[in-house]
Amino acid sequence: MSDDPSVATLVARASGSDQAAWDELVERYSPLVWSICRRYRLSQHDIEDVGQNVWLRLVEQIGNLREPAALPGWLATTTQRECLRARQRLDRLVPVPDELTPALDDAEIEQEIVLAERNAALRAAFAELPPRCRQLLSMLLADPPQSYAQISVILEIRVGSIGPQRARCLRQLRRSGHLAAVIGGDSEGAAAGHRGGEPRA
Amino acid sequence: MHEDWDDERLMEALAGALRERQAVPPWFTDTASSAYAWHSIDAELAQLTYDSSRDHELSASLRSEAASIRALTFTSAHLSVELEIAESSLVGQILPPRDGTVEVHTRAGLTMAVPVDEIGCFAIEPIPPSPFRLQCRTRDGTDVVTGWVTL
Repeated sequence: MSDDPSVATLVARASGSDQAAWDELVERYSPLVWSICRRYRLSQHDIEDVGQNVWLRLVEQIGNLREPAALPGWLATTTQRECLRARQRLDRLVPVPDELTPALDDAEIEQEIVLAERNAALRAAFAELPPRCRQLLSMLLADPPQSYAQISVILEIRVGSIGPQRARCLRQLRRSGHLAAVIGGDSEGAAAGHRGGEPRA
Repeated sequence: MHEDWDDERLMEALAGALRERQAVPPWFTDTASSAYAWHSIDAELAQLTYDSSRDHELSASLRSEAASIRALTFTSAHLSVELEIAESSLVGQILPPRDGTVEVHTRAGLTMAVPVDEIGCFAIEPIPPSPFRLQCRTRDGTDVVTGWVTL
């Protein structure tokens, strides 16, 4: 679906023996695992356990995934299962009413997956921008935002050209192959929509 | 479907994506990265095929262990490993029976090794911290590692 190391390619390489491919999967999808963990009100220790269990399970299963491209879905489901298990262990010690720790429903999980794929694509596209663009956009996105005057001094460009350069950088970002399927635009990938219907491995 | 994002929307989405990645602490990704060390292990993987805490009905009809004992079975092509975990002890048997050693791996790495007697029995004390897995090396050269156990 995407043209450069797609999830399926990374999964295939990591099922061989390729730490770099594995680390790329971690880079892309650890925010997904993390954000699901954060929804279960677990301690840092429990989150550490959950994270480890999820990735250890993936090491075991990576050669057997029925649908490698659906890895994000597999990770989301596995993370949720591990979180629920950790939650149940905790609740045995200090019972908490169910309504305080609801399981995420399918729609919420689906939303997490779609967002995670979109964000991973955005980060990948951003990482491929020229350094000047990355620097400019980072400064514009800083919190608190930096003023055009500050940016002008640091990047040694005129205040008047910040706007046009920002527009140019965003055009370049939008053209990235990573984003074709995600935000629509000039590539046909957009019409395929997200991959919600794919079965989970 | 072909809804182009304008610059503002793209900037906002990009900000969210970068923030999301920054929110993940380094220890979380480090743990994930080092999990891959298990990939290169040569041992054959034994899958969990029975868990008394999961397979309740089966347990009630086929087995009669006390409720406080957790029974697990891991199966590979060459052997299976049966575990019984009570409050403070973990005993197991390798089937078909043969002697060798069982190594205990936890998140800290290899923590201990215990002998397996000629009828395939072994005992591990104290119960290792979860998650752990057992690597069984028998005298005839079979090398099998169980899936991770979380108690």
